Amino acid sequence: MSLLEQIERMIGPLGAVEGKNNELYVSVSAQELQRAIPFLSTTGYELVSLFCAQDFDGLGFTLFYVFEKAGFKQALVIRTDLGDDETVSIAKTYPSACWYEREVADGFGIQFHGAYDTRRLFLHETYPQGFHPLLKSFKNSKIRTVESSEKNQYQFKQMNGEGVCHVAVGPVHAGIIEPGHFRFSVIGETIFNLEVRMFYKHRGLEKLAEGKTPIECVKIAEAVSGDETTANAVAYCIAVEKICDVAVPRRALQLRMLLLELERVYSHLGDLAGMCVDVAYPVGASPFFVLREEIFRQNEALTGSRFQKGTVAVGGLTRDIPADALKSLSAYLADFKSRFNLATHIDSSFFSVVDRFETTGIVKSELLEPLHITGPIARAAGKAVDTRVDHPYDLYAELKPKLITTESSDVLARFYIKSQEVNDSIRLIQMVLSQLDGGLVSVPWEVKDGYALSIVEAPRGQSIHWLYIKNGKVDRYKIRTASFCNWQAIEHAVLGNIVPDFPLINKSMNLSYAGTDL
Amino acid sequence: MAAKVLRNIVHKKVTEDLEFKDVEFEALGFQLKEKIDKVFGRSLAIRELDAGSDNATEIELNNLSTPYYDVERFGIGFVASPRHADVLIVCGAVTLNMEIAAKKTYDAMPSPKFVVAVGDDACGCGILNESYAVLGGADKIFNVDLKIPGNPPSPKDVIRGLFALVCEIKKQKA
Repeated sequence: MSLLEQIERMIGPLGAVEGKNNELYVSVSAQELQRAIPFLSTTGYELVSLFCAQDFDGLGFTLFYVFEKAGFKQALVIRTDLGDDETVSIAKTYPSACWYEREVADGFGIQFHGAYDTRRLFLHETYPQGFHPLLKSFKNSKIRTVESSEKNQYQFKQMNGEGVCHVAVGPVHAGIIEPGHFRFSVIGETIFNLEVRMFYKHRGLEKLAEGKTPIECVKIAEAVSGDETTANAVAYCIAVEKICDVAVPRRALQLRMLLLELERVYSHLGDLAGMCVDVAYPVGASPFFVLREEIFRQNEALTGSRFQKGTVAVGGLTRDIPADALKSLSAYLADFKSRFNLATHIDSSFFSVVDRFETTGIVKSELLEPLHITGPIARAAGKAVDTRVDHPYDLYAELKPKLITTESSDVLARFYIKSQEVNDSIRLIQMVLSQLDGGLVSVPWEVKDGYALSIVEAPRGQSIHWLYIKNGKVDRYKIRTASFCNWQAIEHAVLGNIVPDFPLINKSMNLSYAGTDL
Repeated sequence: MAAKVLRNIVHKKVTEDLEFKDVEFEALGFQLKEKIDKVFGRSLAIRELDAGSDNATEIELNNLSTPYYDVERFGIGFVASPRHADVLIVCGAVTLNMEIAAKKTYDAMPSPKFVVAVGDDACGCGILNESYAVLGGADKIFNVDLKIPGNPPSPKDVIRGLFALVCEIKKQKA
C-alpha cells in the first residue's frame, strides 16, 4: 500500500496532495490533524520535525508536521493552515513535539492548547514578553532587552525530598566547551534527574536568512555548527537545487561525498578521543587526536579551510579540488585504517577504559521513537536508521554506506559504532577517489520560487532543512539538526549514573550546542 | 598484574616521535615561551569563553592542546576557573542570552586581565551583526586588547596573536 493510501485510510479523502522528490505534502485542517495524530503514532510514523511559516500560501500561519516511517523513502509533510494564532498541542502523543511547539511559540507567538510545557525555549529572560522574532512584522534589528527579575525567572522543575541535592552547572563550563546549563538533582553521587537548559547561543540564524538571496544563505548554513559545516551546507544547497531544478555535475557530487565523509571522520575521531580523555586515559586519546589533526590538514589542502568552509555552493562547489591534493589524500589514506584500528584496539582492550564505558549512559530503546533520537546514538541502541540509506541523497544510493548497529546502547556501544563508521567512511572516500570523474564542478542556475525539504545524515545524525523561496529571496529557512533531538536523550541517559560520568556520556553523544541553539 | 605494574615502572616510556615539521610554529612557540617567562612569570593562564560561536573556534583552541601543538610546552594553559586566568579568550558574537554570563565570567577574573577576541564573530566582522539575537563582537561588552580574526583562525594564528599580545604587554610594562 502506498503511503498516500495509508493516510487516506486514516483520515478520509485528502484535499490537496503534492508529491515531489522525496516529500509528500498533505494539506489537512487542524481538526483532521487531531484525528490523524493517534493513528499516525500507533502505526509507526515518527515525528521528525515541526515548524511554522507565516504568509506561506496566502495570509496567516501554516504549521508543517514532518513524519517519517520505516520502509518509506518519502517523508510525509502534513500542512495545517491556522485561522488564527492558536492550535492544539500534540506533545502528549509525540513527546518530541514539546521542544518544537515551544520553539514555534517563541518564534511566532502561537499558542498550543493542552501542552504540558509552555515555558519559553530560545528566548531567555532578557527578551521582553510578547517579542516573537520570526513574525514578518518584526524587521531584524536590535531590540530593547529587559532585566532579569524574580517575576520572569525561568522555572526549573522542582525536585525535592530527603537527601536531594541540586548541582547547577553552567552556562560557562570548566573547559573549552560551548555554553549550556545543566541542573542535576542527585542523591549522593547518583543522578535521579537532569534538566538541560539550552539556547544560550541563540544567534537568530533563521531570521537572518530572511530576505537574503539563496546564495548568501550558504554562509548561514555553514555557521549552524562549525564541525558540521559541509553537512549543513550540502543540506541547504540540495534544498535550493530541488527548488530551482539544478542538475549538479557528477564530479561535484562525488567531491561532496568525499568532503562529507571526511567531515564524519574528523568528527568521530574527536568523539573517540574525547571519550578516552573523559575516563582519564589521555594515552589512548592521543592517536585519535593525531589522526584528526592530519584530517584537518587534508581538509586544508583540499579546500583551503580546515573546516571545509566556503567549499560547497548551490549547483556544485565553489571551486574544483586540486589534483595533487586528491593524490596526496589517496596516499595518506593508504595506512590510515591500520593506524586507526590499532588505536581503537588498544583502547577497547584496556580494562579500565572498558569498565568505565560499559553500562554507562544507556539510552533505552523505548525512547528512540518518541524523542526521535537519531544518528550514531540510535544505531548504538539497535535502531537501523541512517538518512544516507533511508533517503539517499546526492550519490549515496550508489555508494551504499554500511548501516552498522549494535544493541547495548551504552558508551561502549557508541564508541564501537563511531569507530566502525570511521572505517566505513574511509572505504567510501577511497571508493570515490578511485572512480572520480572529470568535468566541471558547478553549473549556472537561476533562482526560482518554491519550497523543498532536504534531509541529510550529518556526523551527529539526521539534519533537516526546509527552505521557502519567494520572489527570489529566502522567505523562511528552517533548520533542525540532530542535536536538537538528541539533547533530549541525555536527560534520560544519565539517570542512575553518577555525576562524574556525565562528561563521558555527554562526549559519547557529542551534542552540538550551536546546532541546537541556532 | 604485579608484573605489569613492575614493567610500567622500569620499562622504557611508551612514546613515539611525531613527524612534526612545522618549523615556524615550533620557533614561534618557544619565542612566546621566552616572553611569557618574563612577562607572566612563566605561565599564561587562559580562560576561554564561548559567547555564541559556531563551535569551530572552540575546536581549534582545543587542538592547541593536542599532540601536534601541545602548547603547554610554551607555558600556555587553559584554566577551568576565571579566577585563575590572566587572559579571557572570547569566541563568537555575544548573544543576548549569554550577555550576563559573559560579564560575570570577566568580573570573576583578577586584575590585571586581558581580553582577546578570537574568530570573525568575536571580532565583530562575522555574518551575525545585523541579528536581533546578538549584541555584536566582544568589544560591545569588553575592552578588547587584541583581535584574532578568521573563520576560524588556525591554531598557528592564535599563537601568533598571543605572541603579539604578550609583546604589547611587555612594551607597556617597560
